[in-house]
Amino acid sequence: MKNQFIKIYFFAVTLIIVTSCSEDFLDVDSKDRIEQEDSDVVTPEMMVNGVYGKLTDWDYAFSYLGITEIISDNADKGSSPSDTGADKDLLDNLEHSSTSGSIDDMWTNWYSAINRATTSIDYTQNYGLTDNDYKNRLIGEAKFLRALNYFWLVRSFGDVPLQHVDFTTRAPKEDVYEFIEQDLLDAIDVLPLKSEYDAADLGRATKGAAQGLLAKVYLYEEKWQQAFDMTTNIINSGEYDLYPNYAELWRASQENGIESLFEVQARGETIAHGVQQYSQTQGARGTTGWGWGFNTPSQNLIDAFDAENDEIRKNATIIFPGETLWDGRYVSEAVENSAYNEKAYSSANAGDSDGDKNVRILRYAEILLIRAEAAIHIGEDAATPLNLVRSRVNLPSIENPSLEDIWNERRLELAFEHDRWFDLIRTGQAASAMAADGKTFVVGKHELFPIPNDQLNQTPNMTQNPNW
Amino acid sequence: MKDIMTFLLISVFGISTYAQEISGKVIDNNGNPLPGAEITVDGKSNYAVTDFDGAFTIIAQKNDVLNIRYLGFVTQQYTVTDEKNITITLEEDTTLLDEVVVIGFGTQKKTDVTGAVSSVKSEDLMKQPAVNATQSIQGKLSGVNIVNTNAPGSTPNITIRGAGTAFAGSDILYIVDGIQVNGISNINPADIETIDVLKDAASASIYGMNAANGVIIITTKKGKTDKAQISLESYYGTKSILNAVKMANASQYVQYFNERQAAEGSTDFLSANQPYDTDWYDAVTNIGFSNSNNISISGASKNLKYFFSFNNYNEEGLLDNQEYNRNTIRANNSTKLFNDKLSVSSNLSASFIKSTPKPFSAFDDAYRQAPVVPVRYENGAFGQPYWNADTGIATYVDNTGILNSTGNPVQSVYFTNEVDKTVDLQGAFQAELEITDYLKATSRFAATKSYGKSRVFNDILGKYLADPTHTLQDFEDLKALSPENTSYAYNSLYYSNSESFRYNWDSFLTFNKVINEKHSLNAIVGITKGMKNDVYSLSGTAYEVPEKEQYWSINFNSGDYPTVANNSFTTPITQLSYFARLQYNYDSKYYAQVNFRRDGVSTFKNQSDEITDSKYFGNFPSFSLGWTISNENFFKNVNSINFLKLRGGWGRLGNSDVPFNIATYITSSGSSNTNYVFGAALPAPIRPISWEITKETNVGLDFAMFNSRLSGNLNYYSRKTPNLILLVNPIESEGSGSTYYDHGANVSNKGFELELNWKDYINENLSYSIGGTFSTNKNRVNNVINGYDGQTGGSLGNGQITKRLEAGQPLYAWWMYEAEGVWQTQDEIDSNASISGASPGHLRYKDQNNDGIIDDRDKKFFGSYLPTFNYGINLGLNYKNFDFVVEAFGSGGNKVYNGLKGTRINGGENIAADVFNDRWTGPGSTNKHPGADRDSYASSYYLEDGDYLRINNITLGYTLQNIDFVSRMRVYATAQNPFIFTKYSGFTPELIGTASGSAGIELSAYPNTKTFLFGVNIEL
Repeated sequence: MKNQFIKIYFFAVTLIIVTSCSEDFLDVDSKDRIEQEDSDVVTPEMMVNGVYGKLTDWDYAFSYLGITEIISDNADKGSSPSDTGADKDLLDNLEHSSTSGSIDDMWTNWYSAINRATTSIDYTQNYGLTDNDYKNRLIGEAKFLRALNYFWLVRSFGDVPLQHVDFTTRAPKEDVYEFIEQDLLDAIDVLPLKSEYDAADLGRATKGAAQGLLAKVYLYEEKWQQAFDMTTNIINSGEYDLYPNYAELWRASQENGIESLFEVQARGETIAHGVQQYSQTQGARGTTGWGWGFNTPSQNLIDAFDAENDEIRKNATIIFPGETLWDGRYVSEAVENSAYNEKAYSSANAGDSDGDKNVRILRYAEILLIRAEAAIHIGEDAATPLNLVRSRVNLPSIENPSLEDIWNERRLELAFEHDRWFDLIRTGQAASAMAADGKTFVVGKHELFPIPNDQLNQTPNMTQNPNW
Repeated sequence: MKDIMTFLLISVFGISTYAQEISGKVIDNNGNPLPGAEITVDGKSNYAVTDFDGAFTIIAQKNDVLNIRYLGFVTQQYTVTDEKNITITLEEDTTLLDEVVVIGFGTQKKTDVTGAVSSVKSEDLMKQPAVNATQSIQGKLSGVNIVNTNAPGSTPNITIRGAGTAFAGSDILYIVDGIQVNGISNINPADIETIDVLKDAASASIYGMNAANGVIIITTKKGKTDKAQISLESYYGTKSILNAVKMANASQYVQYFNERQAAEGSTDFLSANQPYDTDWYDAVTNIGFSNSNNISISGASKNLKYFFSFNNYNEEGLLDNQEYNRNTIRANNSTKLFNDKLSVSSNLSASFIKSTPKPFSAFDDAYRQAPVVPVRYENGAFGQPYWNADTGIATYVDNTGILNSTGNPVQSVYFTNEVDKTVDLQGAFQAELEITDYLKATSRFAATKSYGKSRVFNDILGKYLADPTHTLQDFEDLKALSPENTSYAYNSLYYSNSESFRYNWDSFLTFNKVINEKHSLNAIVGITKGMKNDVYSLSGTAYEVPEKEQYWSINFNSGDYPTVANNSFTTPITQLSYFARLQYNYDSKYYAQVNFRRDGVSTFKNQSDEITDSKYFGNFPSFSLGWTISNENFFKNVNSINFLKLRGGWGRLGNSDVPFNIATYITSSGSSNTNYVFGAALPAPIRPISWEITKETNVGLDFAMFNSRLSGNLNYYSRKTPNLILLVNPIESEGSGSTYYDHGANVSNKGFELELNWKDYINENLSYSIGGTFSTNKNRVNNVINGYDGQTGGSLGNGQITKRLEAGQPLYAWWMYEAEGVWQTQDEIDSNASISGASPGHLRYKDQNNDGIIDDRDKKFFGSYLPTFNYGINLGLNYKNFDFVVEAFGSGGNKVYNGLKGTRINGGENIAADVFNDRWTGPGSTNKHPGADRDSYASSYYLEDGDYLRINNITLGYTLQNIDFVSRMRVYATAQNPFIFTKYSGFTPELIGTASGSAGIELSAYPNTKTFLFGVNIEL
């Protein structure tokens, strides 16, 4: 018996030795990919920069033009008649549908930016930054960008999913607005003033940018008093003013200038490339031109400038064939279309895909016009802010402005700044304005874009907008 | 009846002086009568069968030898004496009852099994010769769905009890002589003794995290008899396409093409007089030859068992120069030492495979290429789809354009020059020590080393010049224009070498004891560790090597282009597992079995199991119970049922072969949305992935009836994978950058399995058997995480998708427009909902939601590519020295998509003859088939029933025994797949692929083939 026991014991010991049951055996080093701890360190700031980067996507150079300007009475599709620009012809004729790529692109882009913003906020919070101000600033920047993207979504689609709640169910737009407001209020608390940034960081979201966006959000919510008050904060900050020369405002020299609250940065070189191909898609078309010639100013817009005798803004906004531009570039008569968007023109890069054009998102003139519009509703002084904008371009003052006066001023001041279509809908002018442009705006349908087809395929329970 | 028989027998044999009538009774050990037992007399034709009471009467002389046969009992001989009333007690044939199955780390008597295990023996395998043994078991096992492809050297696609995974590995776990291997393509089927399939979780859980797709256990042969046994096996066969589709000929094609041109408003037409009428399938396919030669020597002595074999297998495919050649060597030896206390064995095998693959896309091209295009023009150049729109002749001379963008399949086969070689060396060493009569210690080490080598020569210039409109000067001009572009190098040469290694080391103790004669106890406890996926590869590409094959070396390149070298390693996967099993039965009546495995796999570094909360480890328990009712006393009187057992079990399995999300940050040094003026980077979504879990409940019944003539089993299973991994195409509103993997749904498989076998021995010259298997499977996806619904798949490669993942449907069910007729007139289109671009003669799609628009909301689910049932039928007949077998396999309940018919790229492709004959030709002609001008949307029109019944095997053999030194010789002729019965309009309804990919879609699929074999087996 003892003999047997020894045999078993001997075998068991051998067994344990040969198959040492240590977990170290399972700790295998990766040979096919570089492990995360061996990769370069990614700082929270780099993550936040990635959210800004989304603004430079190609979508903003093409799809965005379609759903903001080409669709409106300000612009036509442009390019050659046979060149549909994917679906720009449909948008131009208000024949777009849930399968229109431009709408899907922007929907996807905005949600992608929101995802990046949220991820970068989490990353920043957990990274272990010791400088609290710096940490809060980064979070504030990301919240500003998240709010901006949600704002673009909600004004385009109405009820939209809130990613942190449930990305398959559309939240009531009131909830979306509430979330946007909260993000912006948080951002206002922590973001520095524009003047407090180092020169290298110029272009990051500021307290003023967050306040300006919030004022605009209140305007869309028709919270007139809050919109008015928010513009007061901006004016009182002393950070901003109108730049006297409207035409120079669009040149590289005035980028991040006194009038700028927020704009997409561009340096015309790799990595600081700006909105990909933004100047190229809108550049003059033809062998003598430099671009694709999309998003061309409509006769309707030219007539609107002319009705107001607004020569300064007309010429700053529109490139006409045969014209010599401020930098000496002669625009041939032979270009294919009769007008082009001058606000997209880059003197240094013309039709390069990497441009130096900073696309203006928010500027002081719009803040004044928001103030004027809100003022009318709450019985405050609307004339002063409105006439500041008008006098810069040598237009006569209006003593008792009506809402229509302000809306028209918005159109002329902010033409091709990607607001016209939403202003038309917000102010209820869409049906009549589009009829005047020869297009049929279907009331009860065209106020909102359709939820994209690809989204509905993925989330079949998501509701479609009315009549789409 | 008995009296009449007796009377007749007496009348016939009564004249014989010594003849006498003998009466008797045949009983079993317990004294129960055995009705239906057969009694024959040696050397005479006298014959009797026992009646219900086991009684018989037969005429015999003194000293005659009676043979008493009864199925399931040992045949007994009785020499007639003067005794006229005899009682014969037959012993149960324990060899039958002792039939064992291999269950992983041990064996078990078949009658003791409490899980669902199916087995196939060597004899059944050899009835259907194949390169891969799993091809031979199609239809022989219920619940095991085998989809064969007939490409040379191919491995069939095996699904056990339904599809339980979509993106993780779906490979079966193969265990060869106890060791885990990658596959069995290196195993000679003639070396296989048995194949056992562990179908249910209660059986398979002993392999834990590797076993979710089922386990196939292969046991190779060992020496058995004292005398050295030499066997020789050879066969020779030819193969051709089984179910060829008749394509339109040149004049039909011309008419079809012209109708389409007219519909599109073109005035360019093909002329009715074409110089060529090519049958592309005829041009691209050949009759393939195959042959196999096998020799084995085996034997045993007191302390030694040996088995050696060599096999040479050659097969030609349907395409020119498509060849596959395999040589395998095996040596299985074992010896006993120290008074038989220690048994040491080694199983060594080597396989050498050489193949020259050819592109399967040639089958698609043969379908699509126009018959008016020649294989070669008169000048020897390969035919191209050029035509001259002025003369309407398909010619390259003064061509004005192309008929279609399909290549010349003969040309693509001709220019594909690839040679692949694989060497697998496999070895297992085992030592088994008998510590006491009830305790055994076993340790075995097994390793596989594989070498792969591939050479691809691409004659770029030759391909360019194959088009007769190209000249050498054109090529030189292009080359001069882009001197760095390797597309204009004369040729390229690619070599790759890879090596891989894996090993397993199992050590376990086996306890086996019967206590007090009633309590039978068997237990194992052990540990196993292993490593796999250790692959190293090195490849190089060079340009412009000399034309002669002898100089095809990377070093002989022209030097004008950089040579490219690639090298990669994979991260090895290590596994450490502990396992235990306890089997108990009381008096062979009540059975209980418990398995437990704790598995750790290195890839789950950052994962945790919800139960164990351990980094690497998961626990995989199972249990099963059995009750052999027929061994109960109260059952003793039920004579018609010889064996009856009820069993059931539950178990948990894992699938560790899961895809991982790459944890990296996306950065870009170019202009992209990941960077900005301030510099940038951004995160990719990282979701932790764990092993997929499968839980299964199985209940079953085994039975044998009517003197064990009828035997069979019935199983019901329900298996669930609660954490199915999906490749998520991010929801747009979720905003993740790129696709990622996540646990996102559960999938369930439920079904019944039935196996029935009837064997009858009519007399010594004639016996027959009928067997059948039938299984059902219901596959459903459920509880898809909100938002992961709607993942699409089944791409046709032309922008159209055909499948979609949705809760309540089978895994990646068909999803497309419902075709309902054909647009007859433009008026009809204008007044109804139509898809954009609709025109008369196009298919009309149903507006499912009646919103006046045809869009994705109108797509509908149409079931699955997965068969809902399959069945096998086997008939065997032995008459004297002849043996005859017919085997059939069928499956159905599924749909398959005719991708060849349904994907036309630019309309100038050829069509099947029936498509031509059935086409719409104008208003009122047909409301079923579209016209020559048709759209290319995926729709139910191209989705067809996948049901088929295929006769797998018809074999007739003749056996001769004891001729000179030959102890046994059998010659046979076999027809494999001679017939298929299906309504499907394509080549083959057996279409392998991934669930989200090409499964069930006929595109680039190798056609089914029929094979005629002649073979001879000789035993010396």
